[in-house]
Amino acid sequence: MAQSDDEDDYMTMVFDEPKKKGTETSLQRRARIRAENEIKARVKSKTELEAEEAASRETGLDTAIDPSNKGFKLMAKLGYKPGETLGKSENARKEPIRVTIKENKNAGIGVDSEKKRKFREEMENEAKRVKVEEGDYRDRVRQENEEKRLEYELRNAQKTAQWLADEHKTATEKDASDTSPASAEQKPLKSINVLWRGLVRRRLEGERNWRIRKSLDDSLPRSQRLPIYVDEDEDADYKLALGRDTGVTPIEDDLDEDDPDLEAFEAQPIVDRLLKVVEYLRQNHHYCFWCKYKYPDATMEGCPGVTEEDH
Amino acid sequence: MAGRRPDFDEDTSRVKRVKVEENGYSKTDPANNPYLAHWDSADMKNDPVNSADRLYKFKRHATTAKEAKAAEDGPINPFTGTTLSSRYMSILKKRRELPVHVQRDEFLELYQRSQILVFVGETGSGKTTQIPQFVLFDDLPHLNAKMVACTQPRRVAAMSVAQRVAEEMDVELGDEVGYSIRFEDKTSPKTMLKYMTDGMLLREAMHDNNLTRYSTIILDEAHERTLATDILMALLKDLVLRRTDLKLIIMSATLDATKFQKYFHDAPLLAVPGRTHPVEIFYTPEPERDYVEAALRTVLQIHATEPEGDILLFLTGEEEIEDACRKINLEVDEMIREANAGPLVVYPLYGTLPPQQQQRIFKPAPPPREPGGRPGRKCIVSTNIAETSLTIDGIVYVVDPGFSKQKVYNPRIRVESLLVSPISKASAQQRAGRAGRTKPGKCFRLYTEAAFKKELIEQTYPEVLRSNLASTVLELKKLGIEDLVHFDLMDPPAPETLMRALEELYYLNCLNNDGDLTPLGETASEFPLDPALAVMLIQSPRFFCSNEILSLAALLSVPQIFVRPASQRKRADEMKDLFAHPEGDHLTMLNVYHAFKGEDAQENPKQWCHDHFVSYRSLQQADNVRLQLKRIMERTEIELMSMPFSHKKYYENIRQALVAGFFMQVAKRDGSGKSYVTVKDDQTVLLHPSTVLGQDSEWVVYNEFVLTTKNYIRTVTAVKPEWLLEISSVYYDLDTFKKGEIKTALQRVHTKMARKEAEKESRK
Repeated sequence: MAQSDDEDDYMTMVFDEPKKKGTETSLQRRARIRAENEIKARVKSKTELEAEEAASRETGLDTAIDPSNKGFKLMAKLGYKPGETLGKSENARKEPIRVTIKENKNAGIGVDSEKKRKFREEMENEAKRVKVEEGDYRDRVRQENEEKRLEYELRNAQKTAQWLADEHKTATEKDASDTSPASAEQKPLKSINVLWRGLVRRRLEGERNWRIRKSLDDSLPRSQRLPIYVDEDEDADYKLALGRDTGVTPIEDDLDEDDPDLEAFEAQPIVDRLLKVVEYLRQNHHYCFWCKYKYPDATMEGCPGVTEEDH
Repeated sequence: MAGRRPDFDEDTSRVKRVKVEENGYSKTDPANNPYLAHWDSADMKNDPVNSADRLYKFKRHATTAKEAKAAEDGPINPFTGTTLSSRYMSILKKRRELPVHVQRDEFLELYQRSQILVFVGETGSGKTTQIPQFVLFDDLPHLNAKMVACTQPRRVAAMSVAQRVAEEMDVELGDEVGYSIRFEDKTSPKTMLKYMTDGMLLREAMHDNNLTRYSTIILDEAHERTLATDILMALLKDLVLRRTDLKLIIMSATLDATKFQKYFHDAPLLAVPGRTHPVEIFYTPEPERDYVEAALRTVLQIHATEPEGDILLFLTGEEEIEDACRKINLEVDEMIREANAGPLVVYPLYGTLPPQQQQRIFKPAPPPREPGGRPGRKCIVSTNIAETSLTIDGIVYVVDPGFSKQKVYNPRIRVESLLVSPISKASAQQRAGRAGRTKPGKCFRLYTEAAFKKELIEQTYPEVLRSNLASTVLELKKLGIEDLVHFDLMDPPAPETLMRALEELYYLNCLNNDGDLTPLGETASEFPLDPALAVMLIQSPRFFCSNEILSLAALLSVPQIFVRPASQRKRADEMKDLFAHPEGDHLTMLNVYHAFKGEDAQENPKQWCHDHFVSYRSLQQADNVRLQLKRIMERTEIELMSMPFSHKKYYENIRQALVAGFFMQVAKRDGSGKSYVTVKDDQTVLLHPSTVLGQDSEWVVYNEFVLTTKNYIRTVTAVKPEWLLEISSVYYDLDTFKKGEIKTALQRVHTKMARKEAEKESRK
């Protein structure tokens, strides 16, 4: 305190101090000091540190040297006036060259600014989009959810239909002759009812992809690491056991063919498709998809109706 | 203040003065010097009577190209009197084909007519080697006991050009043609043409303000605008008015010569076209996410698909370059194995590379692996050294990522650091031009055309705008420049730069309150060192450790002494730990030096350095610098002393002496423990990962404030705050501090010290 001898100031100090301190009890003070120390002692994270570094640098770069600086005073003695430039040329610089640091060490020229530009554009687009779609956002979400749900129901309905059809078929075939059980997969794809053909097709595609990947996985290391002996006379079982059997599935060829029927079916809106499958189930199998019950006859007594809403 | 060390690589350093001075003394007046009596002896080869009678007929500053050519044709060497060799004749034939020879008469006419001449010759015109010889035949400096000086921004250039010109003139290097660079003076009393670094000439000017021993001064590569060149230009601009007999030629490789003309009192201009071929320029369609990776890919692609021709790749620094060389070698081995590619040799090129390794870049490309096989090439991976001054023939492909390591300085936060920054458009053009030296070439720019137009500045900022000027101001003061504010630089820096320089010199007690040189400043200017280092050295006897501080000053003036190869980092760190001193890097460096000078190490120093992962070259250089500094200390009567090593204050005293020079480079640990805050500038910084110092030192002095992606302080040593208040009380006047943690901490220390003092008093 420079004015220590001044009586007035002395008085104010006396009155000020206890007032301030009086509001804080010893416990409060302890709590405050502890809280302060905690803040001080906390180890800052890397990003915090980086931000702090950058911030201190930027402020430093923005702050011109103060006229109270010794160098400033020495220059003033040499006849320098604030705002002037050095030397004798007309357009000498007034401000030091700014230091700019590359954000990303290895980024090429233009990457940083390109990133900034893209970010800015994205922000602008986003702002526009949000403005337009703010109103129907809720509707859209609801619709999307509904479609997802219907998709799920359709898949289930298709599965049921396929299963019921197979069951029915095996039952009739068993009566006719005792042949080996024919699964849906071995039928040519086109012969499958279009209502659930899409389901079968997707499953087959998945299986084929898996097989291709597996055979690739198998063939590569085996042919490279273990040159194996190939015996022409090997029997089929042996080949199968060694994984060298290349069993051809006839339907696979169908997968690559165009299927206009299926395309036409899949082009319909999902509600219609679901309705068709549900109706198929009712007519052919007396099964209500919504009741999840197979009625004994065509009247389907007890079922409230065809649609989901009826149930 | 930081970042002085790289200067020594790039040769803008002040160490050069050492040698010059000895020269200066010997050359001032040879007649009175008994050691130079042989100058007058009759058997000297260049004794005018029996050797150069041919040139005697020449009328100074009135000769013609025809006369000079006749003298050049021989058969007697007009400067030495010996018969010219056949090698000379074949070189002469090639020299006559250089573009400058066409305009020899034109040049002579302008040179004779005007005191100052601006000469523009693109790379490859032959200006650096031929113009000084043209001058010799007309200026005839040896007949007036004068010399022609030709400055170069780089040491390598000065050496290699001098070598070349000595061959062209059929003389021994160091006789009629010599060079003078830091720590190496290859001149003799016979020397009439001296290639030297610009920094060397500036040093000479400090002791001979009128540069009386030169009759013509040629500032070559002026477009590079080094700090020393800019200062020299300002000095010479003034000097030509005082010395009307002095001729001045400013040579530049770029067409931006009007600026030079205007600056030099509207001097006449002579431009000679270079011998260049068209260069096709390619840009990338998208910005590159990783320019190094993109550069390597481009080099390999060129090697795989383009016809014969060598490749020049520009990268930014030693580490990056060595790394790239290694990767290219690996990839090329595979290409040869798998795709039968031609052989490719990769040469790195950067300033700190030993000269003999730098010379390897001139080796021709390798031959095909079998007769008729795919042609071989060489690939040079270089810093911007290869951008202008070095001429490498055979380059057809240039790969330019658009970056170079540039010095940056900002007086506001007092950071001086090398920072990878985008090059300028002028630089990019220069780089591209390197592809068209021998035949039409291609330049692959690893950035988009839009980026070239928008992101690159027109011209590189001259060094004077990017440097701490403390040592320059000290030099100028010594040169007798009073009015620093109106010192006529071509591109004056921001006023704040001068402010900082004056402030630093004031607190170092080199300038007094009126801005005049103090006796300390006078002595400090004798040392070819940064003012802080010089002051530390001068003050060191106060702390009884001037021997140690002398070693330290030398160690801080050479490139990094610790070697840390990428493949053996762990081992290198273990070795460094052997020398580590818990209190700091300065002391650790000193330990290394002492071990290096020990008997064990001196038995086989090279091996010892290799085993301990320290640089033999740097230590040897430090040894050399130490010797030069020691001589100056003896001359300026600074006592050399040491305390016994076993004394408990041995290291403490060294740390105190450090404070005496570096009190303006102090940081205090921040409350949270990891980061530090610099005193007065309030910059948040981290200790550089290379430090041996633990995290528990509250106050540290640092040698450099470096910027990479983070703010680092490098080469740090722990100090006590009491020392700061005691040793540099003017700077640590607490009233000048901003309110904050640092001020509070210092205030606490101050009170404690006052209390102790009072106790002492009462006990008495």
